[in-house]
Amino acid sequence: MEPVMVVMCAICLLFFLYQLYKLSEERRNQCCYLVHYECHKPSDDRKLNTKFCGDIIARNKNLGRQEYKFLLRAIVSSGIGEETYGPRNIIECRENSPTLEDGILEMDEVLIDTLDKLFRKTGVSPQDIDVLVVNVSSFASVPSLTSRIINRYKMRDDVKSFNLSGMGCSGSLISLSLVQNILKSYKNAFAVVVASESIGPNWYSGNDKSMMLTNCLFRSGGCSFLLTNKRAFRTRAKLRLKCLVRTHLGASDEAHTCCMQKEDDQGRFGFYLGKNLPKTATLAFIKNITGIAPKVLPLKELIRYIVMKYLGKTATLNLKAGIDHFCLHPGGQAVIEEIRKNLGLSEKDVEPSRMTLHRFGNTSSSSLWYVLGYMEAKKRLKKGDNVWMISFGSGFKCNSCVWEVLRDLEDGNVWGDMIDQYPPKTTANPYMEQYGWVNQETFEPSAAV
Amino acid sequence: MTQILPNFSSSVKLKYVKLGYQYLVNHILTFLLIPIMLGILLEILRLGPEEILLLWNSLHFDLVQVLCSSFLVIFIATVYFMSKPRSIYLVDYSCYKPPVTCRVPFSAFMEHSRLNLKENPKSVDFQMRILERSGLGEETCLPPAIHYIPPAPTMETARGEAEVVIFSAIDSLMEKTGIRPKDIDILIVNCSLFSPTPSLSAMVVNKYKLRSNIKSFNLSGMGCSAGLISIDLARDLLQVHPNSYALVISTEIITPNYYKGSERAMLLPNCLFRMGGAAILLSNKRRDSVRAKYKLVHVVRIHKGPDDKAYRCVYEQEDPEGKVGINLSKDLMVIAGEALKSNITTIGPLVLPASEQLLFLFTLIGRKMFNAKWKPYIPDFKQAFEHFCIHAGGRAVIDELQKNLHLSAEHVEASRMTLHRFGNTSSSSLWYEMSYIEAKGRMKKGDRVWQIAFGSGFKCNSAVWKCNRTMKTPTDGPWQDCIDRYPMHIPEIVKL
Repeated sequence: MEPVMVVMCAICLLFFLYQLYKLSEERRNQCCYLVHYECHKPSDDRKLNTKFCGDIIARNKNLGRQEYKFLLRAIVSSGIGEETYGPRNIIECRENSPTLEDGILEMDEVLIDTLDKLFRKTGVSPQDIDVLVVNVSSFASVPSLTSRIINRYKMRDDVKSFNLSGMGCSGSLISLSLVQNILKSYKNAFAVVVASESIGPNWYSGNDKSMMLTNCLFRSGGCSFLLTNKRAFRTRAKLRLKCLVRTHLGASDEAHTCCMQKEDDQGRFGFYLGKNLPKTATLAFIKNITGIAPKVLPLKELIRYIVMKYLGKTATLNLKAGIDHFCLHPGGQAVIEEIRKNLGLSEKDVEPSRMTLHRFGNTSSSSLWYVLGYMEAKKRLKKGDNVWMISFGSGFKCNSCVWEVLRDLEDGNVWGDMIDQYPPKTTANPYMEQYGWVNQETFEPSAAV
Repeated sequence: MTQILPNFSSSVKLKYVKLGYQYLVNHILTFLLIPIMLGILLEILRLGPEEILLLWNSLHFDLVQVLCSSFLVIFIATVYFMSKPRSIYLVDYSCYKPPVTCRVPFSAFMEHSRLNLKENPKSVDFQMRILERSGLGEETCLPPAIHYIPPAPTMETARGEAEVVIFSAIDSLMEKTGIRPKDIDILIVNCSLFSPTPSLSAMVVNKYKLRSNIKSFNLSGMGCSAGLISIDLARDLLQVHPNSYALVISTEIITPNYYKGSERAMLLPNCLFRMGGAAILLSNKRRDSVRAKYKLVHVVRIHKGPDDKAYRCVYEQEDPEGKVGINLSKDLMVIAGEALKSNITTIGPLVLPASEQLLFLFTLIGRKMFNAKWKPYIPDFKQAFEHFCIHAGGRAVIDELQKNLHLSAEHVEASRMTLHRFGNTSSSSLWYEMSYIEAKGRMKKGDRVWQIAFGSGFKCNSAVWKCNRTMKTPTDGPWQDCIDRYPMHIPEIVKL
């Protein structure tokens, strides 16, 4: 009986080892790799400069002198440059009567441009895609944008498509979280995420000050990126996702209502930004950092922080101990400055966000990828670096994730040749002299213009 | 769609032969095992008790060997159980029941139509003809904003409708399951045509003070099949997060999408879509396996987007006057049939018993090798499922599916009665139908339910559930007060 028992034990042992091996393989295959991302650069005929914006405001019959002054002040001091892009219906002076076609065409330009380039540069065919996530906050059409993409690129009929909307400027990180979860259950899968924002149909034509700011800050843009969990793509991929933390402050009424779509007193539709927005953003930010810091900072830094706090001394978490590059959502000058102060970052750290705000404006959920593109074009991303992406969204959400750079990245992408012009000597608005009178409390506009 | 031997298809004898064949093939393992067991038993009896004891003593069991082998067996069993996909349970669900004040009987609907479309009597006639043949009853509901003449949809009223529908459904669900808001880990809201910022999911987080690390997703634009897409997403998320609860909310907010123009093809949704919503609680906790109502077995998603005709058959567009509405093309039924075929081809092998699959394979081989004129064998899905929940998209959809799948009137009764009592509530209609079957006391433990829904794009999604415990009547739910009036006969045309 002896040899039989030995053989049986050996078989059992081999089977058991094989199962362990399979489990460990599954764990290893759950990594989420970013193969490539492509940001959209609209055509030059869609550029919006301050003069054009001034003209649009002047055209609006609902705005009086006070509002004109307020808006110009916002535009001039926003940190947004002269080469940002607007939607076609606004360029064509039809901002008050957007049609459904305008909205769809705006989306089409982003989708076709970025997806064509994405598939071409990665060599992945649309038929290989297993998961498709589209995230556009204020646009919902029938059939959805995911169906539009599936129709255009003739994807497979069992592709898992998800169309997220209403998630604000942090939509691309939420889509990333969705893909990360799905890639844990499916082997060897490809996922495409498209993030953009629909500006044209959401133009506010009224005169409520808290609702006019979005007109000035948001600009056209979008991006799509390809993710996979195939180990074979590890050498070709750019980044690997280390961790992602989502924080939702919706439970607090104040946080929930600080930015929302609504109708003003005259029934005009627009996006309201409340005065407590900065405070809510700070709260969400702190909560999010509490979640992500333990996952990404080295133990030494965490111990130092805890010891300092215990001793009662003021201590700031030195995020630079674990993070090399900061991709901050370019929501506006104020947002970037606030975060820079709170985290003790240098000008060089926030330069990518500032430059993105200057060149492309606030393109909502896709803006983080323009910031990443800047860092890559400047050849700052080296193998082993950690990149931290953080964004805020209505509701109120704060989401952040940390990527590990897998190889030295040098792709010029959307910044291309103009990267050498950045950072410019000054980001002050060139129309400051002409429109600078808006910053004075008393003025005579007829004398200045 | 006749069977292989059309001459004898009505013969009673063939029916029994078929039944016998099905029983044999489906229980083949039992049939093989019985002779083997009998053989062993006879062998043991033949040997006698002393010889058995001798055999037992001759096996040398070393302590180490015993320990090793038992250790290995336990370990392999643990690894096997750990690597199995988690079971997803549907703990409970609850459907929104609109108040009586929102009812739109035919007379009210036609009167509003006549007043709103004063300049277009042809469109009014069209609406009347649709309503007569729609299969809807007198108790379907529209939200308050639509009861105004002309309808007065604003952001406020749309949010108001969303709050009433979603919060009522969630309140009733929490009461039934006893779950606390802090326990919810995943939240998925799907509403096709209304996606405000902040999203409806943020609205739910705000009202119920859900946790700040909740994984919330807001799906929109995915049509009437979005409910099953949300279930699919919840399942994928629950595979990755152990010990979690997922709350799925399926609804369609009518207020902002009421078509105000007069194009006929775009007036159709106005006649059919009604107010409704459902909240569903899914869990992957083992202790819920006792109290859960259903267990999720399969979800299959098919997207016919690559085909241009399919993509355009449900399309939102502006009419010549610039008013936005949804255009339903004329070949909607054909495309739905195609999509259904693809779905069946995928789900068939997963759910059909071996007997049906063999028959299908046999006819397939026969058609390829012998005679291409043999009619394709349509598998009998009644073998795989006890109950069918077909999305109550409209009378034509239910008729078409009943014909295609050879279903009896009782199988589609839930869909027809839901269409009659609640109208087309889009993604939540499947849950009203489940509720009907339960209210009728037909849901027994072990029953399998097949939910099918179609959506714009063109999608066909289906889900298979297995009933976990027999549900006793009377059940609480939207059918509580009217279940005794059903089933009722719904005439082809209701003369208005």
